[in-house]
Amino acid sequence: MSISYDDIGDNLRRIVISGRLDMPGTDSVATKLGELIAAPKKGVVVDLSSVKFLASIGIRALITSAKAVQQRGGKMVLVVDGGSSALMSLEATGVDQLIPIFRNAADAERAAVA
Amino acid sequence: MPKGRQSPDRPAGTERPALPGFDELTIGANGAEARRASEWLDTTCRQHNVPQGLAERLALCLHEVLANVITHGGRTALSAPIRLLLEITLEQDCSKASVTVSDAGIAFNPLSVPNRVLPATLGEASVGGLGLVMIRRCSDWLDYRHEDGHNHLTFGARWDAR
Repeated sequence: MSISYDDIGDNLRRIVISGRLDMPGTDSVATKLGELIAAPKKGVVVDLSSVKFLASIGIRALITSAKAVQQRGGKMVLVVDGGSSALMSLEATGVDQLIPIFRNAADAERAAVA
Repeated sequence: MPKGRQSPDRPAGTERPALPGFDELTIGANGAEARRASEWLDTTCRQHNVPQGLAERLALCLHEVLANVITHGGRTALSAPIRLLLEITLEQDCSKASVTVSDAGIAFNPLSVPNRVLPATLGEASVGGLGLVMIRRCSDWLDYRHEDGHNHLTFGARWDAR
């Protein structure tokens, strides 16, 4: 399980998570994710392309993060591979209708700062 | 990995075209064990030629069921082993894979919980109850019984193997 980030200009932060966002995996990255989300960036892209398993506890962390960004006037979007297990989880819970999802990073970055 | 039993191969010449399979696993009630169980289920399903997408759905359901037991099952759930039973039946027209989770926690029938209305906006979204939504959406059926002081929850998926 890993989490990393890079800032793209002043307004955009890209966070990359890899591994399994199940109970132990989410526990191991949740605090760091909260810290990274708290940075005053307008747009945040969370890249889940390398997440192999996305459980409800991981989705809760994503919803909490998206709300925090929204509450400061920003926007959080996701990058998820089509047909992936992570996308299935997001669709099953309806979260794909709440947090914008993109297949590639370039589209996601544009949308996050639009 | 504690593995209880595995189905023997069906003798040659029997009429049914495919082999049923079953496997068991006993785990402790914690997150690391829930991960091990999901990985076991995914691997075992693939060994029995369950389609990959269905194997992933079942592994997700299992994780959510175990998360509920660990989080809401109480002290007895945390101190007693959880038994998992996977049964696979491969038939020409309708194959099935089902998983039964047996735990000693507080009695809880997920079928008694009303379906949740999904939120329309991020602002309306609640972070609770998602696990049960996932279980319902990712399984083709659910059965529950409480017997001998244990919850027995079965979920499964079916597919056309032709």
